[in-house]
Amino acid sequence: MNFLSVQDIVTAYGKIEALRGVSLEVAEGAITCLLGPNGAGKTTLMLTLAGILRPKRGSIRFAGEEIAGRAPHAIVARGVALVPENRLVFPAMTVAENLQAGAYHRRDKATVRSDMEGMFARFPRLKERAAQQAGTLSGGEQQMLAVARALMSRPKLLLMDEPSLGLAPLVVEEIFRIVAELHRDGTTIFLVEQNAHMALKVAQHFYLMEQGRVTFSGDPGSLAEDEVIQRAYLGSVQR
Amino acid sequence: MDDYAIGVLTNIGLFSFVALSAYLLLIAGEMSFGQQAFFGVGAYAGGILTALYGWPLPVAAFAAMGLGALAQLLVALPTLRLRGLYFAMATLAAAEMARILFELLHWRRKVDGELAGPDGTQGFRGIRWIFEHGIEPLHYLGIVGVLLALVLALLLVVERSKLGATLRGVGEDPELAASVGVDVQRVKLAVAAAAGALAALGGVLYAHHNTYIEPRNFDIMLGVHSLAYALIGGLGTAFGPLLGVLLDIGVLESTRIFQGYRMIVFGGLVAVVLIYRPRGVLDERIVQWLRQRFS
Amino acid sequence: MLADFLQNTLDGLSAGASYALLALGFTLIFGVLRRANLSFGPSIMFGAYCATWAHVNFGASLLLLALITVSGAVLAGAYVERLCFAPHRGGSAIAAMVASFALWMQFEELATLVMPRHLYAFPMLYEGDPLSLGPLTLRVDTLAMLAAALAACALLWWTLYRTRFGLAVRALIEQPAAAALAGINVPWVFMRVFALASALGGIAGYLVVATHGQITPMLGMWATLKGLLAMMLGGLGSLPGAVIGGLALGLIEAHTQWYLGPQLRDLVAYLLLFVLLAARVPWMTTRSAS
Repeated sequence: MNFLSVQDIVTAYGKIEALRGVSLEVAEGAITCLLGPNGAGKTTLMLTLAGILRPKRGSIRFAGEEIAGRAPHAIVARGVALVPENRLVFPAMTVAENLQAGAYHRRDKATVRSDMEGMFARFPRLKERAAQQAGTLSGGEQQMLAVARALMSRPKLLLMDEPSLGLAPLVVEEIFRIVAELHRDGTTIFLVEQNAHMALKVAQHFYLMEQGRVTFSGDPGSLAEDEVIQRAYLGSVQR
Repeated sequence: MDDYAIGVLTNIGLFSFVALSAYLLLIAGEMSFGQQAFFGVGAYAGGILTALYGWPLPVAAFAAMGLGALAQLLVALPTLRLRGLYFAMATLAAAEMARILFELLHWRRKVDGELAGPDGTQGFRGIRWIFEHGIEPLHYLGIVGVLLALVLALLLVVERSKLGATLRGVGEDPELAASVGVDVQRVKLAVAAAAGALAALGGVLYAHHNTYIEPRNFDIMLGVHSLAYALIGGLGTAFGPLLGVLLDIGVLESTRIFQGYRMIVFGGLVAVVLIYRPRGVLDERIVQWLRQRFS
Repeated sequence: MLADFLQNTLDGLSAGASYALLALGFTLIFGVLRRANLSFGPSIMFGAYCATWAHVNFGASLLLLALITVSGAVLAGAYVERLCFAPHRGGSAIAAMVASFALWMQFEELATLVMPRHLYAFPMLYEGDPLSLGPLTLRVDTLAMLAAALAACALLWWTLYRTRFGLAVRALIEQPAAAALAGINVPWVFMRVFALASALGGIAGYLVVATHGQITPMLGMWATLKGLLAMMLGGLGSLPGAVIGGLALGLIEAHTQWYLGPQLRDLVAYLLLFVLLAARVPWMTTRSAS
């Protein structure tokens, strides 16, 4: 039942250890979110899960297979896709080409095409801009594009790193509506967020991370929301 | 010691100057494909002063160093804010321009009844000051050696000092250095002047050792060789570039086994060493470790 | 006077066509790896020398020689990629570039060892008389060069914009971090980009050697310098820029040489590059060279 199981992951940048033994689990079909102050290592963890960074030690098991240290494209092929922080769309390519890129590793052309139609149905604004260069889209539209691009790889586990970053409140609501929708449709989601309030509204389980370690694990009711928010932004008071 | 050995050792010394010149710039974070131009400036200037105007070699050498520094500053000033490949290409363009200018340089003068001086692509022969003053090859080797030792000593002192740390700081992270109050531009210009002077010193000594120079001596091959010596020897210490030169000229050129295959072996060696040691054999980590062990 | 100008323009464009191909090769590698391959010219020279060897020993046909040149260049390019660029991916750019220069030394020495003469004759593309168009002389082989270069550019455009591989290359050029996340096998794309760039270079090399009718070991240095110069003139990292830069370089050279002679021709080209770099002209300094 442990869909994604992370055990004692240590990831370093040169000599500096950004992740000092992270362990957590993501249950299948649920939305799990990871909160914590800036510099806690949340993005480092996401990049490690996606294969961009190699951990020094530890294990990452996904659907029974060890994926720690594997190449990013191999991890995508196994059904884990990351929507990166700052979206990172391909600016000079069209919206349609961005989606095609998301399905790069897939060989089933006909299904890719129908999936693209599906994305346009789910994200009508993207359909309007299908032939437009992705760099000309607004922040919110780029975020949707980044999510759609990741979905094009038909992931079993969708990782999202700060999807609300830099977006207006109305747009943020729309993004989280989409997250909830994806969850209803059966996608497992592991979500990093600074916006603790919105994240707790959709998540079934959450973790708090500080200074490279997980410091709390529970479901949204188990801590008073203002304490969660305080620890998510400022970290624990006690040392 | 036989003449061949003296010749090899002298060449090691001469090319160490231009390797050190590339090394200084690398430490400051700039990759220059053009140090051969300043080597050439030193060679031509020094040769002209001694062969055409009778200047004594030491004075001519000083003047040549000054000209080399000036020339390098002339290139460094407009390119101060360029980084990486852009800077490298600018130095390459400048160096090729210099080489073409050497090809166009005709500075002829009657000396002892005969025309002497640089003659464009025909080269510059008769730089005979050291022979006219009875300096034996072994003595010249001694002179080159002493000068190199002085330069090394100076560089080692600088390296241990605050100036050296500032220099490396600028090379590693100029934004960080600027944020703690370092005038990055001034540091880079100072390094440029020093590098130009060093290369020119090597050039002047080279011209007088060979007695004949031509523009082809100062082509891109020399420039990138200097870069390779500095990088493979190691950027951790001024002995690094020396090691690079020793490896190529000392080991490979002088041993008969590699006759005809020297570049193939050296080239392969450089590529392989760089895989395991991207900052050279004597990189900062090893030098640190050596210092701790022997202190 | 006008006839001279037109003739020089024509000659300049055909030289520029080969420069454009060289610049495209450099730009592909730079765009995707953010590094310059200093062994690009020498790997082309390696291919051309393989063809020369075949010609000297077997008297191969023109088409076969072209294929050998391209294959040799691709083989040499693969060797350079494995030894100089793959190990330093995400590491030191200087180490990669200096390592690629070191292999340049290897290629040059290898060429002189296997083919010791400084100059070899190379079968020309066309041995007949040039065509006359009024006061202009049109060499058939330079026309062929222009046509071949055009065809190569068209093929490249088609590869980049109409194939899956091309999509991956563009993704890597535009947003390298996200390309890996989209499931693109980055190391494998790097290898294929190298092969593509080397093939383009091989075509350029073959065309140049076959129109001049001779080959020397200087081909390596020549191709590297011209390719780098053209790439930087047209704007580092831009593919259309590479073509424009190459053609512009050819035109500048042809006209300068006519009025000022061959030495000043090169001087002007380098001076132009230096001035453009120093002035930090925006189109030249947009892409970060790591």
